[in-house]
Amino acid sequence: MISLRGVSLVYPNGVRAIDNVSLEIAKGEFVFLVGHSGTGKSSLLRLLYREAKSTGGEITVDGIRVDRLRRNRIPALRRHLGVVFQDFKLLSDKTVWENVAFAMQVTGAHTRDVMRQVPRVLDLVGLSHKSRMYPSELSGGEQQRTAIARALVNNPKILLCDEPTGNLDPTNTTEITALLQRINLKGTTVVVATHNQAVVDRMRRRVVRLDDGRITADEERGYYYLGLGQGQVLSG
Amino acid sequence: MDSGKVKFFLGEVLRNFSRNTGMQATAIGTVAITIVLLGLFMFARAELAKLGATLLDQIEVSAYLRPDATPAQVAAVGRVLAQDPRVATAQFVSKRQGLAELRERTKGTIDTGLLTENPLPDKFRIKVRDPDDVAAVAANVRRLAGINNVVYGQKIVQRLLQLGAVLRRVSVGVIAVFFVVAGIIISNTIRLTVFARRREIAIMQLVGATNTYIRLPFICEGLLAGLIGALLAVGLLAIARATLLPRLLEALPWAQLTAAPLDTRVLAGELILVGAAIGIAASWVSVGRHLRT
Repeated sequence: MISLRGVSLVYPNGVRAIDNVSLEIAKGEFVFLVGHSGTGKSSLLRLLYREAKSTGGEITVDGIRVDRLRRNRIPALRRHLGVVFQDFKLLSDKTVWENVAFAMQVTGAHTRDVMRQVPRVLDLVGLSHKSRMYPSELSGGEQQRTAIARALVNNPKILLCDEPTGNLDPTNTTEITALLQRINLKGTTVVVATHNQAVVDRMRRRVVRLDDGRITADEERGYYYLGLGQGQVLSG
Repeated sequence: MDSGKVKFFLGEVLRNFSRNTGMQATAIGTVAITIVLLGLFMFARAELAKLGATLLDQIEVSAYLRPDATPAQVAAVGRVLAQDPRVATAQFVSKRQGLAELRERTKGTIDTGLLTENPLPDKFRIKVRDPDDVAAVAANVRRLAGINNVVYGQKIVQRLLQLGAVLRRVSVGVIAVFFVVAGIIISNTIRLTVFARRREIAIMQLVGATNTYIRLPFICEGLLAGLIGALLAVGLLAIARATLLPRLLEALPWAQLTAAPLDTRVLAGELILVGAAIGIAASWVSVGRHLRT
């Protein structure tokens, strides 16, 4: 589903954000990307949805060669992906319903599809009863659930999350990670960049560790810190 | 096209248009001022052109015949003039007619009764269709047998023609400057509205909206601002025309201004089109800059 071969990302100022990274993520997997701030977790995700363009290597996402993608094909790639951020990125003058529907409307969806799909994802994230509220009237966890609903409304096969619980308290964090797990169980490939040790250690899913733009650990059923898991696979 | 989509799209345009009222007012005001200036300028240009044309229209070529010109030569000159497509009218004025006209013109100042014989030669009085051709027609007639001398307001004609050419060039330049200035101001205004909506644009890009789709509402906003500004300007110009122009005509009778040198409906249409074009072009450029980054 996601494949990186010898990928690097060097910013124009010379900073090497990603350094010769190779990684395979299968369909339906749940993967944590961990590491300290500034080790390239976000950069790696940005490469996948072509917010950043790699300076070397091959990137394939859902059969699309992202590294070679022409500019005008980027929207097509993004419709295959859902992306969620730490700061939710909701529109404050739109209701929950409108924020979620927005993602369909601006990609030219038919109204009847919007009317069918929006209630489904709102139900999935448990916000049907708050669909007419504005983001400022919601808790952080509810705002993030709205953002997740928006990311899922176009039925992506892949959900990318960049520090999804970074702004949330422990209760809301648990709520969101449970939701991500549910989404994963429905068949969506989920990649979560986080430095929240508690979340990673509780979930015991595949953990890919980044240090200074390189993969230093890749464990099935891993822990946040290297060497604590079983079946450790090193690559990078 | 399903109606829900159209409703959503128009709703977005109107919502954003009314949300950034201050900025939109700036854009509309700029368009209005530019177009009022453009309209005044075009009016002034039309007046000047008409004034020049009136002066040039009054120019006539006098081709004086030699005293010993034979009737055959006179008839030949008449034929040449009649066949020349550049000549509007060519009228034979005999010396008797000429004297009668002179008497009429100088009545009370010169006593032509003192003349013992008619000193005037026969002549052709020639009017040319296009003032640009005056010199060429005069030169052509001068070569004919039986013609003594050809006279027209050489210097005046030359000056007027030069002035006309200069005015045309200057006016093209001035209009171009108007366009550039208005375009820059409006595109800056729209850049501010683009900036105010950068979150929305970022989300649209994130969920896979095409650049065309992201651009479209801004283009519509630019178009709307341009149209409203142009309509305001045309309204102001119409009011000015109805109230100020009659007074101007009274105050400056020597300028021979008249109120109908322009087809005002065509001009109004052109000015509105200009406003719409400025709005579209400016928003296209400013959103494009944002999308590229």
